[in-house]
Amino acid sequence: MSRSPGSAAGAVCLAIDTTFDDTSVALLRGRREVLANLTLAQIAEHAEFGGIVPERASRKHLEAIYPLLDRALADARIGWEGVDYVAVSNLPGLLGSILVGMTVAKTVAWTLRRPLIGINHIEAHPYANFLVHGELPFPLMHLVAAGGHTLLIHQRDHFDWTIVGRSVDDAAGECVDKVAKMFGHPFPGGPVVDRMALEHAPGPYDFPRPMLHDGLDFSFSGLKTAMLYFLREREGQPIEAGPAVSAFFEAVMDVLVTKTLRAARRYGVKAITVSGGLAASRKLQGRFGEKAQEAGIPLYVPPPPLCTDNAAMVACLAAYRHEAGRHDGWDLEGFANLPA
Amino acid sequence: MTHALAIDTTSDYLSLGVLRAGRIAANHYALCGTAIARTILPRIEELLAGAELEPAHLDVLIVNRGPGSFTGTRIGMSVALTLGRVLGKPVVGVDALSVLAAQADPAYTDPFYTILNCVRDEAYTARFHRRRGRIEPLSGIRLTTLAEAAAQAGRAPCLVRRFDPLPPAPADTDGLAPVPLRYGQPDALCMMEVGLPLYLDNAHGPFRTPTPLYLKSEAFRTWRPAGGAAS
Repeated sequence: MSRSPGSAAGAVCLAIDTTFDDTSVALLRGRREVLANLTLAQIAEHAEFGGIVPERASRKHLEAIYPLLDRALADARIGWEGVDYVAVSNLPGLLGSILVGMTVAKTVAWTLRRPLIGINHIEAHPYANFLVHGELPFPLMHLVAAGGHTLLIHQRDHFDWTIVGRSVDDAAGECVDKVAKMFGHPFPGGPVVDRMALEHAPGPYDFPRPMLHDGLDFSFSGLKTAMLYFLREREGQPIEAGPAVSAFFEAVMDVLVTKTLRAARRYGVKAITVSGGLAASRKLQGRFGEKAQEAGIPLYVPPPPLCTDNAAMVACLAAYRHEAGRHDGWDLEGFANLPA
Repeated sequence: MTHALAIDTTSDYLSLGVLRAGRIAANHYALCGTAIARTILPRIEELLAGAELEPAHLDVLIVNRGPGSFTGTRIGMSVALTLGRVLGKPVVGVDALSVLAAQADPAYTDPFYTILNCVRDEAYTARFHRRRGRIEPLSGIRLTTLAEAAAQAGRAPCLVRRFDPLPPAPADTDGLAPVPLRYGQPDALCMMEVGLPLYLDNAHGPFRTPTPLYLKSEAFRTWRPAGGAAS
């Protein structure tokens, strides 16, 4: 099964992401030509448990991955031989889930004798912006607000970045999910909180902005607790859910936007990007748009399907890695956590 | 003549075997633990190279589909199913109890029990005999406790496998009658013995894609320590 792989610039990447509860497969030609980008969400599979059950997620990935691969190849109108290299998210996330995607990816690459690239899922999120907006000017400040992580990443060049801010407890997305749950909404809470924030003004309610004036790290567990006490104090009384949730989300947005702009100014970046599931919030996008414009800093946000977990962003980062000749061996390992 | 690769990652042992032109060319059975995901492809590469085979030469993949370690089983299944998919070759699934039963001496034809103790006191058990040279199940696989499995076997011969990290065997299994063995370990020779006939009897297919045999729900709500059957 040997074939001259396509030139690095026009090569076709097969990318797989199974880091959490979504099974994602993409085929990308060059840096930006998406031939296929498919994601199978497992949300309904975990609904009865009120959260993601890791063992169930791993099982579902193995069930979903082969039909998705078949469909992606069919959508792209290529066969296995048309794949020039293989990329896979090997951290961070649920280790059992990562192992499924990683083993499949490694085996495809090994069988076809193609290069393999292990991708940091968090590093890949901002590449949803490179995918749709083209080359962005370095240095950049990325806010990655994905399920389990809220991070500020200062990127000086491709493969050269530093985490300059992170949540010291709950991620913003987790906090939003938990507050949505307090109001009886199912996981994930982001879409319903976004809708309530768009439809309602905060009214008389106000919530704390944890660590707002303090450095670049985030803290959201206190905000979640504040909402818990807010509801307890009003037990038995009618609560206007829309304004309360809207006021809560104002606090979340305030912290995210303020810290991201502070980081952008501190590091003198040329642009800001926002990515991750929470970036799909129209309310948050609008707020970032206003504040970035006031600050005179260009802002890039991907369309909603590329905010949430997807393999196209993984493929986009992998394209830069492939062009730079940065490949991995068959002994690539998976990791649940980001490197310390 | 058949070229085959057998893969078993259901325990802490990485078990691989290569059949070249119908004859065993390589057999690898080594304690690997959590390194299986990192090690499996380099080992397969070595074994195939030693047998002077390329992946594309393989006619069939044989994989142990469990029960056993959930994560381990998925690694082996992922490798086998992906190889089958990319190469366009069939994948034959065998279950862990049949592989265990294939350790028995070919001359031994009486019914016997197999007991697989994977974790704590939980045990998978099934009854087999050898007929016309082949291992045949006389029962389905049941999830029970080690003590109950031992009690069920009574005086009947038993083949017991306990995964390595477990503490020393409890007294429950002390009195069990042994089955005469041909193979000292449930390695790829056992897998080939069980899996190859499933391929050769049906070489033109179609083949049903094997799925992992978990025998325990992911929420573990149906597991009853008193000895009820798994979901």
